[in-house]
Amino acid sequence: MTPSDEPSRARTAQRVLARREARIGLLFVLPAFIVFLAFRFGPAIASMALAFTDYTIGATPNWLGLENFRRMLDDPVFWSALKVTVMFTVMTVPVSLAMSVGMALLVRRAFRGVGLFRSIFFLPVVTSLVLAATVFTWIFSSNGPWSSLMGRLGLPEETWLGNPNLVLPALVVVAVWSRFGYGMLILLARLQDVPRELEEAALTDGANAWQRFRYIVFPQLRPALFFLAVIETTASFQVFDLVYVMTGGGPARASYTLVYELYEQGFRYFNLGYASAIGVALFVMTLVVALIQRWVIGRDR
Amino acid sequence: MRRRAYQALEPSRRGKVARGALLAVASVVTLFPFYAMVVLSLKPAAAIEFPGSLLPWNLATEAYDRVLSGQNLLQWTFNTAVYSLVSVVGVLLMSAMAGYAFAKKRFPGREAMFWTFIAMVMVPYHVTLIPTFVIIAQAGGVDTYWGLILPTLANAQAVFLMRQFIGGLPDELFEAAKIDGASEWRMFTTMVLPLCKPILATLGTFVFLWHWNDFLWPLIVGRSNDMWTLTVGIASLHQQNVPLNVVLAGSVVAFVPIFAAYLVGQRYFREGVTMSGIKG
Amino acid sequence: MRRRTTRLGALTVVSGLLLAACGGDDAATGDGGSGDTQEITMWMYPVIFDEADHSAFWDEQVAAFEADNPDIAVKVEIYPWANRDEALGTALAGGTAPDVVYLIPDQIPQYAHTLAPVDEYLDDTALAAYRPNAVESVSMDGQLLGAPILMSINPLVCNKAAFDDVGADYPESWDDLLALAPSFKDAGYDVTNYWGSVDATLNTSFYPLLWQAGGDVFTDDGSAVAFNSPAGVAALSLLVELADGGYVERDLLTTIPAFEQTNTAKGQIGCTWQQVPADLEPFWGEENIVVLPPLRQRESIAYGTVGALSIMADPGDAAADAAGRWVSYVSSEAVTSEYVVASGYFSPYALDDSLYADDTRYAEMETHLDAATAGTPHEHARQVMGLLAPEIQAALTGQKTPEAALADAENAAANLFD
Repeated sequence: MTPSDEPSRARTAQRVLARREARIGLLFVLPAFIVFLAFRFGPAIASMALAFTDYTIGATPNWLGLENFRRMLDDPVFWSALKVTVMFTVMTVPVSLAMSVGMALLVRRAFRGVGLFRSIFFLPVVTSLVLAATVFTWIFSSNGPWSSLMGRLGLPEETWLGNPNLVLPALVVVAVWSRFGYGMLILLARLQDVPRELEEAALTDGANAWQRFRYIVFPQLRPALFFLAVIETTASFQVFDLVYVMTGGGPARASYTLVYELYEQGFRYFNLGYASAIGVALFVMTLVVALIQRWVIGRDR
Repeated sequence: MRRRAYQALEPSRRGKVARGALLAVASVVTLFPFYAMVVLSLKPAAAIEFPGSLLPWNLATEAYDRVLSGQNLLQWTFNTAVYSLVSVVGVLLMSAMAGYAFAKKRFPGREAMFWTFIAMVMVPYHVTLIPTFVIIAQAGGVDTYWGLILPTLANAQAVFLMRQFIGGLPDELFEAAKIDGASEWRMFTTMVLPLCKPILATLGTFVFLWHWNDFLWPLIVGRSNDMWTLTVGIASLHQQNVPLNVVLAGSVVAFVPIFAAYLVGQRYFREGVTMSGIKG
Repeated sequence: MRRRTTRLGALTVVSGLLLAACGGDDAATGDGGSGDTQEITMWMYPVIFDEADHSAFWDEQVAAFEADNPDIAVKVEIYPWANRDEALGTALAGGTAPDVVYLIPDQIPQYAHTLAPVDEYLDDTALAAYRPNAVESVSMDGQLLGAPILMSINPLVCNKAAFDDVGADYPESWDDLLALAPSFKDAGYDVTNYWGSVDATLNTSFYPLLWQAGGDVFTDDGSAVAFNSPAGVAALSLLVELADGGYVERDLLTTIPAFEQTNTAKGQIGCTWQQVPADLEPFWGEENIVVLPPLRQRESIAYGTVGALSIMADPGDAAADAAGRWVSYVSSEAVTSEYVVASGYFSPYALDDSLYADDTRYAEMETHLDAATAGTPHEHARQVMGLLAPEIQAALTGQKTPEAALADAENAAANLFD
C-alpha cells in the first residue's frame, strides 16, 4: 500500500527548511566571500597570469611566456635580493626565538612587578615599524648611541647602516626588538602548562636549572617554538617597512630584500609583469619553507 | 618535603637579585627607543648630539608646533582612524556572519568555500599586492578611502577564528531561538554577536592594531598628501629634509593613540596578537 | 522570511555604498562633465619652499587666468618632491592623472607616451625667446613636451668661514680638491660631501663628475649605458679616494640623515656641488656663501635642470585645449620671471636684463646656465640610477673596485635594453 502522506510532507517541510537554511547560509557567507574572491583569491590567480606578461601602466599587455622568469634568473639584482632575504631570515629567526625563550623564562613566575615587565616587553610589538625605524635610524647613526657603544667595546665607531656587512645585523636588532615580546607571550602561555610536579620531582632528584630546562621545560615548548619559527620566518621573508625607511635597500644593496625589489619594480618603475614574477618567486619560497617545516614537525611527531 | 620543593623552585635570594637586574637591563634597552623618541622630539631644532641631547632638560615644543601646524598631521591621523575603524567594523561584521554560516549552516559549497579561505592564508600578502593594486586602480579607487579599505577587508584568518569560536557555541541556544520564531538576522544580531563579544573584542583590537600600523598598502594607494596615513606621512617626513626633532614629534603623535589604547586594553592586545599571529 | 533576507542583502549593499561614499572627492579631473567651465588640474611640487607663499603665488595666478578665461577652472595641487614618480605613476594607473604636471627633462621620456606636445599652444615669439638649451632639453623627436618655466643650476658652493680658517684657496679642479683634503681634515672639516643614498638623485651627485671627466650616462643613440668608461672610472675613483681618506662624511655615503644633523649643515665642510646657496644660507649665513664655477677635470660642467609644465590630457581633447591655454599663460616671460625670483631659480628665457643684477652670487650662477647640462633624457634614466647608485655605494664602502662596480652596473642595466 502507499505509505501515508504524513512522512513525505514532513520530508518536504524538512527539505524546504534545509533549502531555506542553505540560502541563509550562503547569504551570510556572501559578503566575506565576494570581498575575498575580489581581493585575495582573484589577485592570487591574476598574479600568476601577470607574471607571464609585460604589463605596465597604460599599455596593452603582451604575453611573454617564461621571459620574465628567464630575466629573473639572469638578474643579479634578484639573486642578491634573494640572498639578502634569506640571510636576514637566518639571522633574525634564531635570535628572536632565543630572546623570546629567555625573556619568557625570566617573567615566568609571579612576583611583584612581573605584570609591568611583561607590558614593557610587549610594547614594541604594538609599535609601528615605521616609527621604530625613525628612532633607530638615529640610534644607529655615527653620532648616535649605538656607534658610541661599539666604540666603547673597542669596535669601529661607525654607522652600521652604512656598512654593507653590518647593515643586516642592524636591521636584525630592530626586528628582534620589535618582535621578541610576541614570542615571549606565546611561550609564556605554554610555560603555564609545564607540570609543576615534574619540575619539583626533578629538583628533588638533584637536576640543575639547565637540566630542568633541557629535559622538562623545553619538550613542552617544542610545538610552540615550531609555530613561532614558521611565523617568524614568514614575517622575515616579507620585511619591507624597516628597509624602506632605514636604508632604502643600501648600502650597495646589502639590505635590498625581495619584497623591496617587488615594490621597486612594481610601484617605482611600474614593471608590473616582472614584479608579479618576483611575487610568484616569493610565494614559491614561502611554500617550500612551509613544506620543509611541516615535514620537520611531522617527522618530529 | 613537597612544600620545600615548591619553595625551592622559586629562585634563591641571589637568583632573585640576578633576575631583577636582568629584567631591569632588558627593560631599559626595550624602552630606550621610546625615551629617545620623546626626549629628542622635545629638543630645539639645532643639531642633536649624543649623549647630551638625551638629558631631559632644555625642552622645547617647537617641533610639535611645526609638525602640528604645517605637515597635515591631523589629516593623516584622521585618515588612519578612518582606515582602522571602518576596517574593524567591516572585518568583524563580515567574518562574524561568515563564521556563523560556516559553523552552523549547511549549504552547498560550504566546504569548498571554507577551504578556499584557508588555502589563501598560505599565500603571502605581497604576492597579491600587484593585481590588487591593478584592480583598485582600474576601478578608480586610487587615492580614495574605499580603495584603501576594501581590499583589506578580505581577512581569511578572521573568518577562520570566528568559525572556530561560533562552532564551539552549543546548538541548543540557536534552536531555542528558532522555535521562538526569531528571524535569522535578528538572531544573528541579538544572539550570535553578543555571545561572540570576547572574540570580537580581541579580534577587533588586533585588526585595529594591524591597520593602524599598516604601511605598504596605504603607501601604494594613497598618492596624495591628503590621503596618507600616519605611517606613510612619517616615513615621508623622514625622507625629506625635515629636522629630526620634527620627524620624532610626528612619531610621538602617531604613537600616542596606540599607546593609550594599549594602556586601557592591554589584555585584548595580548590576546589579539597571540591569537592572530604576528603583526604585519 | 523572504523580506528579511532581502533586507540582509540590502544591508550588505548599503554598507558597500557607505564605504564607497567615504571615498569623497575621487578627483574629478579631466573632462569636467556637463558644466560650462572646463576644469583642469595641475600638479606642482614645492618649488617655492614655503608652503604658504607657494600656494599664494598660484592662487594669484589662477585668479588672474580665470578672469581672462571664465570658461576654465584651474586647480593647482602641490605635492611633495619625495616619491613623485611613484605618485604620478599610480595616478596614471588609476586614471586620475593631472592635466598639467611639472616635470624635469630626465622624467619626460618615461611619460612621453602620455604627454601632448605643447608647441602648438605657445606663441611663436615666446618659443623664439627661450634659451635654446632649455627648449632642447624638454624636446623629444622634434616635439616640445613641456613648456619651460624655470632653470636651475648647481654650481660649486664653498664655505668662506672654512676657507678662512684653513687659509686655503678655492678649488678649481679635482686635483685642487684632493690637494686641499688633508689640510681640511686636519682642521676638522670635510673637504666636500657626497650624498650616496640610493634615494638621492645621481643628477646632482655623481653625474656632474662623470660629465666633468668627459663621460656620459647613455650612449648618444640611447641604445646602451655609457658610464662604464675611463671617465666613469675616474669620477668614481675620485669619490673612493675622498671616502677612503675620510675626507667626506661617512653617514651621507649611504643614508640620508636629517639635514641639520649633517656636517654640511653644521658648516664643517669646504665645498659642495650638491646643495645650492638657498639650501645653505640658513645654516652658513649669507656672508659665508661663495659661488664658484663648476669643478674642472676635462671640462667645467655643472648639473642644471629645466622645470617644465607638461600636458597629460589627450591632444584634441577639450581638457587639453584648456590645459594648453593655462600652460601658455603660466610659461609667459612675465609670470615665470615672478616665479623664479620668488623661488630663487632662473628664467628659461634669454632676458636682456638679469633678474639678479643686484645679487652677485645669483648673477654669478646665472652666467653658468648655458654651460649646464641636464643630461641625456632617456626612458630608463631613473631605473639606471636605481641600478648605478648601489654599485657606487659598493665602491665607496670598499666592496668593489670602481672598475668592477661600474661593470656590474652596466651588466645589470643590460636587461633594460633588450
